[in-house]
Amino acid sequence: MSALRTPKFLPFLIGLALSASTFAADSDRFALPIAVKTLTNGLTVVVSEDHSAPVVGISVVYKVGMRSEPKNRTGFAHLFEHLMFEGTPSAPEGTFDKVITGGGGRNNGSTRPDFTNYIEIAPVSALEPILWLEADRMTTLDFNEKTLKNQQDVVKEEIRVNVKNQPYGGFMWIDISQQAFSKWENNHDGYGSFVDLESAKIDDVRAFHRDYYGPNNAVLALAGDVTPEQGFALAERYFGKIAKRDTPKRPEVDEPLNTAERRITQSDPLAQVPAVAIGYKIAERGSADQAPIAVLADVLAGGDASRLYQGLVKGKTMALNIDSLFGLTGPFEYDGPTLLTLFALYKPNIKVDDVLAEIDAQIAQVVKDGVADAELARVKTAMLADWNNSLESFLSRADTLAKYQALWGDAKVANQVPGWIQAVTSDDLKRVAAKYLTVANRTVIDRKPAAMLATDTEKK
Amino acid sequence: MTKSILALLIGALIVPSVNAADAAVMPKELPAYAADKPLPVPEIAKRTLANGLTVWVVARDAMPRVDYVLAFKNAGLAADDATRPGFASTLAGLLSEGSEQRDSKAIAETAQSYGGGVAAFASNDGLIVSADALASNAGPMLGLLAEIVRQPSFPEQEIALAKANALQGLKAAEAQPGFRAERAILKAVYGEHPYARTQTTEAGINAITRDALVAAYRARLRPDQALLVVAGRIDANAAFELAQQRFGDWQVEGKAAAATSPSASSATRSFVHLERTGSVQSALRIGRPAVAATDADYIALRVTSTILGGGFSSRLMQNLREDKGYTYGAGLGYRAQMAGGALIAAADVRNEVTGAALGEFFAEYKRIGAEVVSASELDMNKRYIAGGYLIGNQLQGAVAGSLANNWLVGLPPEFLGEFVPKVRAVDAAQVQAIGKKYFAPEQQSIVVVGDAAVVAQLKGYGTFADAK
Repeated sequence: MSALRTPKFLPFLIGLALSASTFAADSDRFALPIAVKTLTNGLTVVVSEDHSAPVVGISVVYKVGMRSEPKNRTGFAHLFEHLMFEGTPSAPEGTFDKVITGGGGRNNGSTRPDFTNYIEIAPVSALEPILWLEADRMTTLDFNEKTLKNQQDVVKEEIRVNVKNQPYGGFMWIDISQQAFSKWENNHDGYGSFVDLESAKIDDVRAFHRDYYGPNNAVLALAGDVTPEQGFALAERYFGKIAKRDTPKRPEVDEPLNTAERRITQSDPLAQVPAVAIGYKIAERGSADQAPIAVLADVLAGGDASRLYQGLVKGKTMALNIDSLFGLTGPFEYDGPTLLTLFALYKPNIKVDDVLAEIDAQIAQVVKDGVADAELARVKTAMLADWNNSLESFLSRADTLAKYQALWGDAKVANQVPGWIQAVTSDDLKRVAAKYLTVANRTVIDRKPAAMLATDTEKK
Repeated sequence: MTKSILALLIGALIVPSVNAADAAVMPKELPAYAADKPLPVPEIAKRTLANGLTVWVVARDAMPRVDYVLAFKNAGLAADDATRPGFASTLAGLLSEGSEQRDSKAIAETAQSYGGGVAAFASNDGLIVSADALASNAGPMLGLLAEIVRQPSFPEQEIALAKANALQGLKAAEAQPGFRAERAILKAVYGEHPYARTQTTEAGINAITRDALVAAYRARLRPDQALLVVAGRIDANAAFELAQQRFGDWQVEGKAAAATSPSASSATRSFVHLERTGSVQSALRIGRPAVAATDADYIALRVTSTILGGGFSSRLMQNLREDKGYTYGAGLGYRAQMAGGALIAAADVRNEVTGAALGEFFAEYKRIGAEVVSASELDMNKRYIAGGYLIGNQLQGAVAGSLANNWLVGLPPEFLGEFVPKVRAVDAAQVQAIGKKYFAPEQQSIVVVGDAAVVAQLKGYGTFADAK
């Protein structure tokens, strides 16, 4: 990739001559070198080299998330993620963060329905100590009552600061899934109830680590100033000794599209401005409909040029914003029932039904007429640029590759996505709009400030 | 669901209890860090156009993208009239809502077609218009950037919509504890200085008129007060020619806006409780004035504030989160600006530990001035700061943004490459001296946004006035 390629600077006169052009050139494609190897213990290693900076991004993705947590332990997958930072018999609490900080690095972790990722970015001089730390916590943890109690407290503060003490309380990603889905695996609160969080025991932690955190249930990806040869050799040195562990069968999570609208009104004691979330169940991973749905989401709500921004925020001036979400992830980063959710704050003098009617009208127009060539071309151009940009940081590059390897079984899918997007036609958009963005398949939450709801009730 | 949500919540703010950096023995098998590679320093090609526009180009080939950052000095929130706080944000936002050639929709569609966007925002010290595009559209995108900067039309209906949405946005923001806490701590730290009033108000939004926008536009957006940074897949000469073509004939009349007067480096401390009935957490903010980015203390203060509250291994995070479990995140930010600065610490804690958390903040504040930082903790933090530079330097937009921001606060272009060597030169005695000078608890103002029931816990930290 970049460092190995002869610099090809833009011939700027050509750029000027084509100032009316709205298409991305082939030279705008950003293909990644991707090398993959599986160790004998089942750990899959992905390396994408780029020597343009003396930095490396590291991602370890485990194929476990909120869908797989025990039924009486909502929020456990996320609590467990916190405990992965709290020490091992070899590296006591505090060591992990200190080694990464001293190496000049940054680290994080996050829990999602289908995976849990642990990510670092650091000067490449810190690569070996970081790999040692990741291998060490894959081997075993400290399983300590004190850090369990501490992180139960920290997670409760996380839920307070992000949900309970915030207007809207994350309803567009927590509550909407609870309403839209029918199976427990898909509709429970992944942040968890305080009762379930407080009930977690050290034995639960031990069992979860044993069952889901073995090398055979994980992917390690490196991106940046490292060659595949170096990356594979380091992976073998630090992870090769970790024994394979049995992983429980994944629960059956599939469920069909909904056949009747689900709709509720919620009262929000903290919000001052009403909001609405509309979730549509979408196609499963790998469906021919997946890329068209991604493009449709951007036609409707991808930035200031999108139809709903122009229709709701600008034209009809009903809403303050319009955003689209793919559950808690992205359009290609899920492996079970997922929602395309539209979210808007709307003006207090506007009726939610009018907001929904405008959205429905915009969808109906796509179903009827499709999307004109010029509009489709510029949306795809913007999506190609967004795709490139999402891979610029070595951290997100490693993490994307690890997730694709974990979810699709093939990191090289990352180089196919731009082609899938490019291949989407107006007819594809008509088809997926008609199939998924229907009233019957949608779940609506109208979230109103408590005071406003009380006034509404009095009027009735 | 992620540790990083913290960054969104407490913005610029962001580890073990007593001496943990030294107490912990590193695991025997842990491999050592490899030798550091040479520090990459951006090569900046520089030129000034005849009309005074400064152009810097950082040619890089890692991505098929070009980034532009066009920064205007003395054009930001600090330049706003006291009756219209936050005005510069509206001015910035309206630039892309209509030009002499294109309406708002056409601007958005054109930017999308280039595989990028144009956006503008106001910082305290400047107004920044940025754009990026796929490399093959670099020329046209600079044309669009020039169009919105040189020929904005400020359509009446867009102004009316921006004001209506800003009023609703303000209502939504008022519901967040962090927004109210920020307003109060800025007031406590900066007093009557313009840096204190950077949030919009209802009266201020209502006072925005097209005439005021046009007048401010003419006074603030001028080539002789501007820097254009170009980064990415474009060579310097091509970039200079593009800049000349798009901006070379830009002439303005009148005098440039005056620079912001310096903000005070000390303040009478204040204690404010903002009632939030039913709140399940207290939002704590602790702050005092500090110094500008060009001050002699800048680098050592950067290092000291990092040790205290700059990352996951910082003392505040380790104490309040990892040891006590009081909060999801505790941290400290040094906001270094052109005319002054501030040190503001933050944590959102559960109600029962409001007072105890303040106690832990101040225990750490005292310790940084009272004890000499150990060599290993100091080294860890210096390496952490250097790593942040390297990580940022990997991203071309971040390089362009840092150069523009440094310029706005008065730092020279070389500063970016000199930053890490200067950080490496800071010693433990300097850290302690800075600790004494800036972190004495009796110099700190305190803001608590929370339920009335927590006020009883604040006794002993000051006499708290209730405010709105």
